[in-house]
Amino acid sequence: MSDRALALASVVPAPLRELLRSRALKLQRPVLGRRLGRHRSARAGVGLDFRDHRAYVPGDDPRLLDWRAVARRERLVLRQTEAEDELSLVLLVDGSGGMAYGEGSAQKFAVARALAGGLAWLATRQGDPVGLAVGADGIVADATARPSSSPERLAGIAEQLQNPTLRGNCPWPALFDAVGPRLPRRSLVVVVSDALDPSSDGVPTDEADETFLRGLASIRARRHDVVVLQTLHRDETEFPWTDRTTLRFIDLFGRRKPREGAAAGMREGYLAAVAAHQSRLAARCEDEGLLLHTVHTDEDLATAFLGLLGRFEGAPQTAEVSTP
Amino acid sequence: MSLLAPALLAGLLGLAAPVLAHLLGRERPREVPFAAMRFLPTAEPSVTRRRALRDLPLLIVRLLLLALLVLALARPATQHDGGVTMVAEPHDAVVLVDGSASMGLRVDGQTLLEHAVEQGQTLLRSLPAGTRVGLVTTDPDGPRVEPTADPSRVADALARWAERDVPRPGAWPLQAGIPAASQMLTDVRSGDRKRVIYALGDATERGLGGLPATAEGGALVLPIPAVPEDEALPEHVGIVDLTWAPAPELDPRAARVDAVVRRFGAADDAAPRSVTVGLFIRDAEVARAAVTLPPGGEAPVQFTHTLLEDADVLPARVAVLDPTDDPLAVDDERHVWLAAEDAMEVAVVNGDPSELRAHDEVFFFTTAVAAKDEEQTMAVRGLAPDQLSERVRKRGAAALADVDVLVLANVRAPDPDVAAAILERTRAGMGLLIAVGDRVDADAYNGALGPALPLSMRGSVQVGTAPGRKEARVEGIAPADLTHPIFTGIDGEVGLSGASARRVMLLEPDPRRNARIALSFTSGAPALLTRPFDAGRVALLTTSLDRDWADLPLRPGFVPLVSGVLSYLGDTSRGSAGSRLVVGEARRARARGPVVFVTPRGAEVSIAPTDGAATFEDTYALGHYTVRIDGAVDSVFAVELDPGESETTPVQTDDQALEDVEGRVAVNVPQWRWLVWLALGLLGVEAILRWRAR
Repeated sequence: MSDRALALASVVPAPLRELLRSRALKLQRPVLGRRLGRHRSARAGVGLDFRDHRAYVPGDDPRLLDWRAVARRERLVLRQTEAEDELSLVLLVDGSGGMAYGEGSAQKFAVARALAGGLAWLATRQGDPVGLAVGADGIVADATARPSSSPERLAGIAEQLQNPTLRGNCPWPALFDAVGPRLPRRSLVVVVSDALDPSSDGVPTDEADETFLRGLASIRARRHDVVVLQTLHRDETEFPWTDRTTLRFIDLFGRRKPREGAAAGMREGYLAAVAAHQSRLAARCEDEGLLLHTVHTDEDLATAFLGLLGRFEGAPQTAEVSTP
Repeated sequence: MSLLAPALLAGLLGLAAPVLAHLLGRERPREVPFAAMRFLPTAEPSVTRRRALRDLPLLIVRLLLLALLVLALARPATQHDGGVTMVAEPHDAVVLVDGSASMGLRVDGQTLLEHAVEQGQTLLRSLPAGTRVGLVTTDPDGPRVEPTADPSRVADALARWAERDVPRPGAWPLQAGIPAASQMLTDVRSGDRKRVIYALGDATERGLGGLPATAEGGALVLPIPAVPEDEALPEHVGIVDLTWAPAPELDPRAARVDAVVRRFGAADDAAPRSVTVGLFIRDAEVARAAVTLPPGGEAPVQFTHTLLEDADVLPARVAVLDPTDDPLAVDDERHVWLAAEDAMEVAVVNGDPSELRAHDEVFFFTTAVAAKDEEQTMAVRGLAPDQLSERVRKRGAAALADVDVLVLANVRAPDPDVAAAILERTRAGMGLLIAVGDRVDADAYNGALGPALPLSMRGSVQVGTAPGRKEARVEGIAPADLTHPIFTGIDGEVGLSGASARRVMLLEPDPRRNARIALSFTSGAPALLTRPFDAGRVALLTTSLDRDWADLPLRPGFVPLVSGVLSYLGDTSRGSAGSRLVVGEARRARARGPVVFVTPRGAEVSIAPTDGAATFEDTYALGHYTVRIDGAVDSVFAVELDPGESETTPVQTDDQALEDVEGRVAVNVPQWRWLVWLALGLLGVEAILRWRAR
């Protein structure tokens, strides 16, 4: 097995790969790819399936005239067929320190990596171009941001996901600036992050939330599909420390001072704040037409992935973030 | 600054305990790397308080508290050597301690005497080995320790004495203790060892200020102030005088009480101070007044009060009501007995009246009484001999009941029945003055008043016709016997020198009559004789009261002589005006039987009379005394403080130049009191910190 294959194997677990073998990445809406692909195109093309008739206009290829229809309607009518285009998948992965939370396979980044890798793998298998940009420690790694369907790209992505920095902040504005303008038309942009604290140094968190969402909204405004794939650890939504033992919380981003306190004393305030944030995030995504899908790290990865694929195809979110 | 118990400083190691407890007792928090820090509440208060730096002020305060405690236990003290000067080589010493009332001044919560005893204990501990030391105090009841090589005996005696009710009024001035101390040193004299009197007291005139540098006998006198001389003594107020007089112009039973309040020891630039004094009758306040006193100044306070009770005399006192925290309390009140009427009643029987005042028998006498008696303490009534006879015959001896002194001036002789009444009254305490003259019939006197006469009369003679005295035409007056009570208060010249008599009454010598000669002629013949007659007193002037026989009335000494004779005969100490004694002064009461003295504390002391009078000497308690004879109140008197004992103003004492023998003893002045105050303050801070942290 080559190094790149090994890298892919470490990024996408074997059971997931096995599951994806018989799955396809589909979108609910038609796509506009540059080349033929496996996705229903938004425009008529050269496919086999009937799509529609339209009136002939000068300049149209006369070969496309549907003679039977012309005969019935006594005017020139063109036969249109469905086209299938490729879908450009661009993965924007949060490599900030906050994604390092969790142990082993329950680490947020491990789940994010598996999901992102799975998507890339699925897309590559379908022949769709895939791009990946990672923001970590204040730096944007966008060498593989331009979507490509070559097999090397998948290996490159796997390699990039394999050894993440997981430190500091993810510079979302820079990431959007670097990727946004270069996106092919109607791309699928999947932002993989916990979306809990998208701030960068010195930026107040509420403003950072706004910047983050506005960046996504601007991408959406260019008619790309934007999916926020939120990977959360159960600890972050349920705060399992309930006794009076003193905990010293250390910021994984490395920018806040450690906080100490009895867990029980902090729990209520924390849970309320998280719930408020989540509902605000969901509301904003709804407003901006972004697709928010939340995955907990303790969920079965295969189930989570199938759920994600289902969301792509239009299914509702099955499990909301539980807020006791 | 030094520590009296430095080893206790090891207790500071204990400071580590709370720090260690603080550090070790901290709960080790479990560290949780966390991504969603922004949703954590800013702080969880109780844990933060328990662990974070906000604990630090509390810790520091508590550590300081502990440190102060340890420091206070180590007893820091400053040493000053201003107080105690001592001879460095072994010597003989006497510690002389001032026990007078002014030593009761409270300085820093202790009386001066307690300070002095502390100084004395320090001195005794520090004396060079081999020194013999004794103890004398100016308290008449104080301890007295002969010089001993064991200073602890002196220290014990001093400590026991200090535990008693001292200082007390009536102690001698410190100077008066020097002879006793000097004598003590002379008694134990051995070789040429130095002899030193360490005088402990306050730097007042009655204290260290009046001490000589060297005592009689050569002993060195080293003054040791009870408190360092540079330390300012607190000021105090005291009542230095209290007199009273009837105020008949206001009311027949009105009395005017005059007190003088004085402010002692105040700095010259101190602000005037208001003092409230009150008049108490039988412990009930009847009046109060406020006066403003300049520094070192005094102010009179006058109360007038009508005596509502029907008693002859009433105990009254004037007390300082404000300030209530006077550092010297002993002089804050004075006592007096009040009576509606105070004058001594003098009845003068004029045997030779004259139209011309200068020729009247009693003109000079009454003029002398009026001249001396500015306060009108004597009421003189003139009587003709037949008036006296008439009254006595009408009322018996009761006619003379109000009379304190009866003067028979050139009266021939009272009739026998009148004489009997006079004798009865005289036995009961009346004074009798007999002045002779041309009209006096010696035999009739011997017959009528013979038992009372100091000596029997023989008859008058012209001077110069007397046997053996032909060469002189007049008889001069010899220097007076100043020990006679008549001359109390007169020292030196009586003012009768040059007086002479042309005619005198000769007397029969009779040693059994116990007569005492107050004045005599240069020939040795008595001029003025006195004699106690049971409870009364009799005086006999062997020449005339006017200028007929002698020129006595023209001499300057005549006025004090008349006043002295009347005071003696009238026994002014029995009336309310004469009822004031200075503390320690003995009180005599004339009586035939036992006399009971009731002290202010209610104790009854029965004293048998000797020579017709009982003497009560224990007048060291201030207040009202009552004298009872045969169960009835005979007289009253009040004992008051010598105003000099109130004086606490320091006088400059000379520093003794003793370079060759002097060693200075450091006196430790405790400094832990302010530590305690600081600790209390810190306790408050600690309470505030805890309250804020809650």
